[in-house]
Amino acid sequence: METETPTPAKSRSALRIAYDFLSGFHVATATLLLLLVLTWLATLEQIDAGLYPTLTKYFSWKSPWLIPELNGKTVPIILPGGYYVSALLLVNMILGGIIRIRKGWRQAGNLISHFGIVFMLLGGGVAHHFSERGNMAIYENETSNVAEDFHEYVVEVAESKDGEVGKIHVIRGNFLEGLTAGNPREFRFAGMPLSLEISGYLGNCQPESELINAPRNRELVVDGYYLRELDSFVETERNVAGCYARIVKADGSKSDPFIVWGGQFHPFTATVDGRNFTIDMRKRLWPMPFDVKLDKFTADFHPGTSRPAKFISDVTRLENGREAEVRIQMNEPMRYEGYTFFQASYGPTGAKPGEDMYSVFEIVRNPADHWPEYSLYVVAFGMLVTFLTKLGGHLGAASRKRNHAA
Amino acid sequence: MKGIRPYILGISLLCTSCKKDSAPMQVEETRPLTTKDREPKLFATSDERFRNAQPAPVKGSPPQNWLVLPPAQFRELNYRFGASGTGEVYVTLASGSVGDNVNRWRGQFGLAPFTPEEFDAAQKTPIAGTEGIWVEASGEYASGMGAPAKPGYGLAGVIAQVDGKILTLKMVGPQAEVEAEKSALRAFAASLGMIR
Repeated sequence: METETPTPAKSRSALRIAYDFLSGFHVATATLLLLLVLTWLATLEQIDAGLYPTLTKYFSWKSPWLIPELNGKTVPIILPGGYYVSALLLVNMILGGIIRIRKGWRQAGNLISHFGIVFMLLGGGVAHHFSERGNMAIYENETSNVAEDFHEYVVEVAESKDGEVGKIHVIRGNFLEGLTAGNPREFRFAGMPLSLEISGYLGNCQPESELINAPRNRELVVDGYYLRELDSFVETERNVAGCYARIVKADGSKSDPFIVWGGQFHPFTATVDGRNFTIDMRKRLWPMPFDVKLDKFTADFHPGTSRPAKFISDVTRLENGREAEVRIQMNEPMRYEGYTFFQASYGPTGAKPGEDMYSVFEIVRNPADHWPEYSLYVVAFGMLVTFLTKLGGHLGAASRKRNHAA
Repeated sequence: MKGIRPYILGISLLCTSCKKDSAPMQVEETRPLTTKDREPKLFATSDERFRNAQPAPVKGSPPQNWLVLPPAQFRELNYRFGASGTGEVYVTLASGSVGDNVNRWRGQFGLAPFTPEEFDAAQKTPIAGTEGIWVEASGEYASGMGAPAKPGYGLAGVIAQVDGKILTLKMVGPQAEVEAEKSALRAFAASLGMIR
């Protein structure tokens, strides 16, 4: 009796299984639905939690998963972070919508639309990782060449000699945020005989005199002051960060600790080897490649209210001896060299007619500034092609049917 | 089991790379001076750095049992005293006249303003190189700053015109504690001097 050898089932490789899964229509459907849910929940949550923390929680790369909170109550579901859902959608679009899709004239429109969506998702990623937002406040007839970040606090170290400030070294906020009490880190600077040991970083705090308010949580008191932690504001740009620092000399000896705080009026001064160094904390400054002079600021209010009807800034942009006069107003930003200046607000609050006022611009540097717009054109064009292809096919089929019937 | 080993290894490597780095770090980022940079004030004290406090225009030698507090708004020198911890002594540069301020203090204890005769006859004491009016009151203290009235309080103080300014030295607190510190207050008043 002969036994029949069983034919092995055709097995797919792990890569093939992954490819089939990731390029599937169900992944596209699931990711789009998840993005819809995440956007809806984030819109509700930002009312209480604030816009920036909510955007970070729902859509930052630092947030692989999240638990929503609505009206201060936890919603008992775990959701994937929007960044990773978008990344999965991007992979799905490339594999399924571009590589796997049937190729041919009839699918040309779909292919173009999918390219547009891929472009849009890439634009979102570029904006997420490389864009910056800050503000610039200028009084009339003043000139500014710098924007101030909304959220990021940095520590700056510079040498001061004969009233002149030397090169300013900047310790970025992402290196400071994890340096909690008992978790110090040393920062070294080229050409300086000192390094800085930082710890006890607090995202929102204020120096408190121990004589007025004794420390309650065994905070470190230095020179009569300690950093009292405060709850984070909903508008996180109002937070003021602070930390403790020590000077570390070349021989390894360390100074007494001192406080550096984002709202301090003057920097801390340290003398090492007869040279004076200032240690300051502030919101990060990013210099512009050009100067902006505010020539005139005009604010019109709705009659009898402090609600602005319109506010207009007439500025002169100065660059390498060249001047350009530009008007910036609501919905009409100035775009130049990758920077976009939006008319954001003005001050001081409650200024009366005739008083000196300043204009505040929100400045955005986004390498993918126009990508969403371009991607929408591509998607719209692709859909138009799909529609025309379908229409042509339908008309052709109807014509053939009539001919056949005749 | 073999098949999942690479994944375990990958996850382990990923976790290791996520660990916070506490090794010394070389700071590479610098920035140029901008229009927002000002010449820094070197060697500022903590009071100056955190409260923008200006050096007091007046100085004195307080007794050792007074607690020195940082200057506050409208308080050039600021102290606490007494066992209760609620007694306050502070030096202010005020506006108005000596008489206005004497009567304002009396009003805080529900006392009628001095008549010109009473004002001329008021006790005087040395302060900041001149003589000032010595003021005393007791009873229910209503500071007029929105705080509830405090019964059993006492006031002692000196008001003088110095260099065209009104210099006030005020002590308020539980009456018994104020009584016990009056002589120290007089000595402190005599030690005060304007920084010119």
